[in-house]
Amino acid sequence: MLTEELVDLSRLQFAATALYHFLFVPLTLGLAFILVIMELTYVITDRPIYKDMTRFWGKLFGINFALGVTTGITMEFQFGTNWAYYSHYVGDIFGAPLAIEGLMAFFLESTFIGLFFFGWDRLNKWQHFMVTVLMAVGSNLSALWILIANGWMQDPVGAEFSFVTMRMEMTDFWAIVFNPTAQAKFVHTVSAGYVTASLFVLGISSYYLLKGRDLGFARRSFRIAAGFGFASALSVIVLGDESGYTVSESQQAKMAAIEAMWKTEPAPAAFTLFALPNEAAQRNDYELQIPYMLGLIGTRSVSETLPGIREIKEKNRARIESGMLAVVALEKIRKNRDDWDARSQFDLHKADLGFGLLLKKYTVDVSQATPEMIQQAVDSTIPRVAPLFWSFRLMVALGFAFLLLFSLALFYSIKGNFIEKKWLLRWALWFIPMPWIAAELGWVVAEYGRQPWTIYGVLPTHISVSNLTPANIYGSLAGFIGFYTVLLIVEMYLMTKYARQGPASLGTGKYHGEKAPSPSPIHSGGALPAGAPANRI
Amino acid sequence: MDYETLKLVWWLLIGVLLVGFAIMDGHDMGMGVLLPFVGKNDLERRAVINTVAPHWDGNQVWFITAGGAIFAAWPLVYATAFSGFYWAMMAALWALFFRPVGFDYRSKIQNPTWRSTWDWGLFIGGAVPPIIFGVAFGNLLLGVPFHFNDFLMSTYTGSFWALLNPFALLAGVVSLGMITTQGANYLMMRTEGDIYRRVRTASLLFSVLTFVTFALAGWWVATGIDGYAITSAIDPGGLPDPQNKTVAVATGAWMHNYAQYGWAMWVPITAFAALAASILFSRLHRAGVAFWSSSLACAGIIGTAGVSMFPFIMPSSSDPRSSLTVYDAASSHLTLGLMFGATVIFMPLIIFYTSWAYKVMWGKVTTEYIAANDKSVY
Amino acid sequence: MWYFAWILGVTMAVLLASMSAMMCDARECALDDERKKLESSSS
Ligand code: HDD
Ligand code: HEM
Ligand code: HEM
Repeated sequence: MLTEELVDLSRLQFAATALYHFLFVPLTLGLAFILVIMELTYVITDRPIYKDMTRFWGKLFGINFALGVTTGITMEFQFGTNWAYYSHYVGDIFGAPLAIEGLMAFFLESTFIGLFFFGWDRLNKWQHFMVTVLMAVGSNLSALWILIANGWMQDPVGAEFSFVTMRMEMTDFWAIVFNPTAQAKFVHTVSAGYVTASLFVLGISSYYLLKGRDLGFARRSFRIAAGFGFASALSVIVLGDESGYTVSESQQAKMAAIEAMWKTEPAPAAFTLFALPNEAAQRNDYELQIPYMLGLIGTRSVSETLPGIREIKEKNRARIESGMLAVVALEKIRKNRDDWDARSQFDLHKADLGFGLLLKKYTVDVSQATPEMIQQAVDSTIPRVAPLFWSFRLMVALGFAFLLLFSLALFYSIKGNFIEKKWLLRWALWFIPMPWIAAELGWVVAEYGRQPWTIYGVLPTHISVSNLTPANIYGSLAGFIGFYTVLLIVEMYLMTKYARQGPASLGTGKYHGEKAPSPSPIHSGGALPAGAPANRI
Repeated sequence: MDYETLKLVWWLLIGVLLVGFAIMDGHDMGMGVLLPFVGKNDLERRAVINTVAPHWDGNQVWFITAGGAIFAAWPLVYATAFSGFYWAMMAALWALFFRPVGFDYRSKIQNPTWRSTWDWGLFIGGAVPPIIFGVAFGNLLLGVPFHFNDFLMSTYTGSFWALLNPFALLAGVVSLGMITTQGANYLMMRTEGDIYRRVRTASLLFSVLTFVTFALAGWWVATGIDGYAITSAIDPGGLPDPQNKTVAVATGAWMHNYAQYGWAMWVPITAFAALAASILFSRLHRAGVAFWSSSLACAGIIGTAGVSMFPFIMPSSSDPRSSLTVYDAASSHLTLGLMFGATVIFMPLIIFYTSWAYKVMWGKVTTEYIAANDKSVY
Repeated sequence: MWYFAWILGVTMAVLLASMSAMMCDARECALDDERKKLESSSS
């Protein structure tokens, strides 16, 4: 039995493990490229300080990366363990990008990360630089493929239902790869990762500058982060706008909920800056609006309208009623493949099959659905408004705050006097956690806003789960929470330990807190010349 | 390529990925199993760990990709097996958690308790997954209790404890033995002195163990276990429809393929011969050849399970007609074709740069080296 | 074609940031380094 408790617990477990995975992902995506920048500067200028920078930030990268891998394995297997019907129903499409991700991205990233850490003495400068580039490209390709998969869940193109195999089957691979939703999602999400990493480097460098230590090291890191971060903060906003546009094209219910648009407004609609969405009365209290803005953002025109919640519900009611007939016909076909009446009936209503399946939440026998059940299903097609409205606004506000911060950082970098702007350094330091908050909120908007679907308009969340008992999920959820809490504590401990210690943790003897420059070449880590005797590791 | 051929090709490719996993991730998991026993002090243990330090993550991707490929090529198997074996999967997953953190964090703090905790973490991460995968294979050979409803939603009616039956546990021992041998042979190539002596002993011990338990399991399958056989006509090139066949439980049915296709016997023979070669060459101190022998043994052992069951992948003991086979658990023609293309392009590339990475890092890892590079190695 | 924009955008951002660092070598960081050299030679 797929009880509501089972479904809610499975969702909770997925959300918890996915949001947790995404604590580590953005830093990996962005820091990889920052390492590329530092090492590029090293190979161009040949100044050892850039090598030390690559190695020090690389150490922090490694600490983060370990948990990215740990939590990623959970994600890879959780579709099978907890979303079995989902895996069967869309595995034909969804599995492909996941497998390609392994072949094309994970292998690349994971093989070269080993050489990145251990290959300093064995590769020449250029070889090592290529290794770093391939590692960065690999990690970003992994984001590409998983977001193509996720983009398909938001906007399922290039696939068709088959009643023989009782699943969605791929019809056009390239439509899935070049899905506009996936493209916008990919660039927005990786840009978010770049912002995260830039602010991480900016903030920690500011810490050293505030303490007045390791100035040369911190100055250069700060500048790199400011430059890269400015470009990324700009693109996260532009591409967030693009994401919003694809949402208004493909998921009107999500858009209406994000904007708390209870009814359709004449074009061009106003943008609601502030409001208290009132779910019970289906209206907003205390609205503050900017005229025309939303129409421009959502439709990029002054004449098209964006549908409001009421209108969307009425459209969905018609689709649910049609989908009911599709489900009934499909049940007949599954019993008898040669029931030609049922097959022609099914063909008529096939497009609404997903909407019919929504009724499975309320009754096993969909043909017996009452008007109340249909009403419940209609209401369920709109995600809850307040969480989406607020998550979205907070993410956007943070986005603009990042842009401001990085603009100032870049401006004072170019002027060369950022080290005197204590307020800027303090701001950067305290802002370190903010990109994480923005990114997690972004996922809440994207995924919570997709409810009640796992595959938008195709497969309801309710029937996607594995047929387990709630007790199973309570157990596994407790396990995940236990493991993940301990792991997070360990990770944060190491991260702060090494960040505080700074470049001295490399043991080169050149940095703050180290005794005298160590005379023994043994301790200088990278002192062995390239091509050192091969039997030494 | 036509649909039927692609279905068979994917059966082979999943096999290749599993064998790749056993060879590559197998040697660093085997390292984990041996770590607490062959390294007597911190420096020795670090030397052992650093033989795989640059490679363990790439190796682990064989496992992840095998999972992804099962998802893409056999979605019903991915869905049914992973949700059915829920607790076994969770245990394997949680054991795997210890690896990335164990490798990366262990030597970042001096405290001896911290370090020995993670050494045991690496032991768990190395020992538990192979045992669980072996037990899972054992249960596949026995058949597992699941059925589908009309909409192909699967229900699994067994319990976690029922998975731990004697035959499956024996299969778990075979698997652990195979992986540990693999790890020991790898360590023989990359260590010297005391560590080398200890891993060589381990190699001999575990290859004999694998040989004996594998023979025992084979004898058990031949004489004591019911296999499954399809009794209706099947359309190998047709759309996958798992309920559209009849299946009978028959004693000795897992031997049919050997009776029908004589060449199939070469698969288990290879396994035995390769294990014997591993014993021989590690006695002769020929570590490299021993490693390739035990790698071949991995292929033979996994291949034997696959060939015995073919075309079954996951037989159902409670509703035999719901059994999943190569023909009716596959994804669509387009997806199989596409994934085949992707594998043909990427697999050679992967093998190429993985070999390069090993070549760059090759050589014996000594305790002196670890002491000299305290801050930059694991 | 957002994928294409990404390839271009990342390349440009990487170059921008690297140039910003090299500017440091040419200007204020050079002063730091000078100062450090003086300190270590006097001590
Ligand atoms: C936007 C990017 C992104 C998203 C949405 C996801 N991941 Fe992830 N994943 C990465 C970006 C990433 C990464 C940047 O490539 C990681 C993070 C840290 C790391 O080590 O690699 C990674 C690691 C990682 C690993 C370990 C790889 C290894 O051993 O090297 C696995 C198996 C997964 N992920 C699987 C998933 C699955 C099944 C997801 C979907 C539910 C998922 N990830 C969402
Ligand atoms: C790492 C990136 C991801 C994050 C942070 C994330 C976040 C979330 C969140 C917050 C939820 C909870 C929604 C709710 O319960 O109301 C959720 C649910 C879900 N997401 Fe994602 N998601 C991620 C990637 C994906 C991907 C790539 C998929 C592709 C399959 C996916 C599939 C699902 C499914 C099946 C659910 C459960 C059903 C549901 O409640 O929505 N998620 N995810
Ligand atoms: C002005 C700024 C921003 C706008 C207009 C914006 C817009 C959006 C929109 C519309 C979505 C939902 C896409 C969907 O439902 O499919 C989204 C998702 C997301 N946002 Fe933002 N966003 C902005 C800033 C940020 C910032 C600063 C971050 C993080 C640093 C961020 C991280 C994310 C993430 C990780 C997702 C989920 C992945 C996705 O769906 O693309 N966003 N954003």
